[in-house]
Amino acid sequence: MDRIAGTEVRSVNCGEEIEEIGVDSLQFGEEIRRLMAAPTHTGSSFAALLELPANQVMELLNSPDTVRTPASLAGDHHVIERPSRFSVFAAAEMSTETSSIPSNSTPHSHVVKLEPVNSDSNPNSSDPMAENDNRKSTKRKEREKKGTGSTKQSKSVANESSGDGEKLPYVHVRARRGQATDSHSLAERARREKINARMKLLQELVPGCNKISGTAMVLDEIINHVQSLQHQVELLSMRLAAVNPRIDVNLDSLLAAESGSPMDTNFPGMVMPMMWPEGQGYGNRQQYEQLWYFDGLHQPVLGREDNASFITPETSLLSYDSSKDSGEFRFDMQFSVPFYFFLL
Amino acid sequence: MKQSSIKTRFTYGFLRTLKRLPKTRAKSSSFSPEEISKRCRIIKLATDASMASAVGPRRAWSRALIRRVRSQRRQRQRQWLVMRRTRRGERKKGGKEVGGGGQTDSLRKLVPGGETMELCTLLGETAHYIKCLTTQVQVMRNIVDLFSN
Repeated sequence: MDRIAGTEVRSVNCGEEIEEIGVDSLQFGEEIRRLMAAPTHTGSSFAALLELPANQVMELLNSPDTVRTPASLAGDHHVIERPSRFSVFAAAEMSTETSSIPSNSTPHSHVVKLEPVNSDSNPNSSDPMAENDNRKSTKRKEREKKGTGSTKQSKSVANESSGDGEKLPYVHVRARRGQATDSHSLAERARREKINARMKLLQELVPGCNKISGTAMVLDEIINHVQSLQHQVELLSMRLAAVNPRIDVNLDSLLAAESGSPMDTNFPGMVMPMMWPEGQGYGNRQQYEQLWYFDGLHQPVLGREDNASFITPETSLLSYDSSKDSGEFRFDMQFSVPFYFFLL
Repeated sequence: MKQSSIKTRFTYGFLRTLKRLPKTRAKSSSFSPEEISKRCRIIKLATDASMASAVGPRRAWSRALIRRVRSQRRQRQRQWLVMRRTRRGERKKGGKEVGGGGQTDSLRKLVPGGETMELCTLLGETAHYIKCLTTQVQVMRNIVDLFSN
């Protein structure tokens, strides 16, 4: 539909003939133009309002092209041109000037719509509000097109999938824009990364856990491993209790070397005498560790004597202490076994 | 902290504790099962305490072990106060956790001091606790093999 000066011309092509409907309504357009034209009256009321003589008022009304501006606005051309640009009457005049339809048009005459000529000095500049409206409308149209296209595609995919095996496709729903940058979600992401890293570390520690996939199964294996280790500690303590408890570990030499260390701090009522005070570090640890290690090169290995026939207190692992009548066996670490035997 | 230094300190402390254990009488050649079980309990406490002292106070599970050893040596009258404190200090579990609630709860019961931990710290403490437990088992096996020969 082409709208030309308030008239609607519907052209229907049927072969070679062109039917034009509503050409008679052009007469109403001419009447509207006559009404919009300036009336020729004396305008005494206008003269009284404007405090101008009657001839000047008539000149102002009859000649709209010449615009008389006050002296204060004489220099500002933009201020003067702005109301004429945005006014409704200026648009109506533009439409009347640009419409090239004669009043006495025949029914077979072709209707041609010409582009309106911009009255501004700058032809490229256009109305910013109109541009925004155009952009918004085009964006809406594009969105609607995309939406219809996506619905068509999803319908076609659904039809294909229902035709193949009646399996619905997996639709991945994305999160909103602001959620990924939220501080809570970032903290939760960092927490999940920490948990995953520590689960990997635990998988490396627990034997046979690398093959298992799934956090629940990994946690089950970790629990079983910790339980088995704790049971092993209990069994070993049972064995140590069941072993001949008259064995006395002779650590007097070590204790003499270790006399100044902070590990000698005793806590009353404790089985284990070496408890740390809170916040106290282990100072000069390397000096003491050097004293702990004994030279195992000049000592016989356990279970092997150089002279099997002749056993002396120097070559035996368990030597009987004849000086004491306590009847206890003494475990002599100086002659039999190095300290780092336990660290193997 | 290096694992070798932990191993060295644990070995030294555990042997020293074994020396200070109450010695049995020389006359009694056979030992009653009650005495053996009591001695086993003492050795178990000694291993826990020596392991915790070797690790140091930086780890939460070692601090919890020390508290447990101390509380077991105290009188029964004061022990319920410690239990009440630990119940008060329990963390309110909220939100989803990895692997479901039952597995994390059982892991909290296994790791000393795990009742008041979040899941992330619990996993880190569990990893360190497993390392130290394996060290403890190795050293105790060596000592048992030495004494049993």
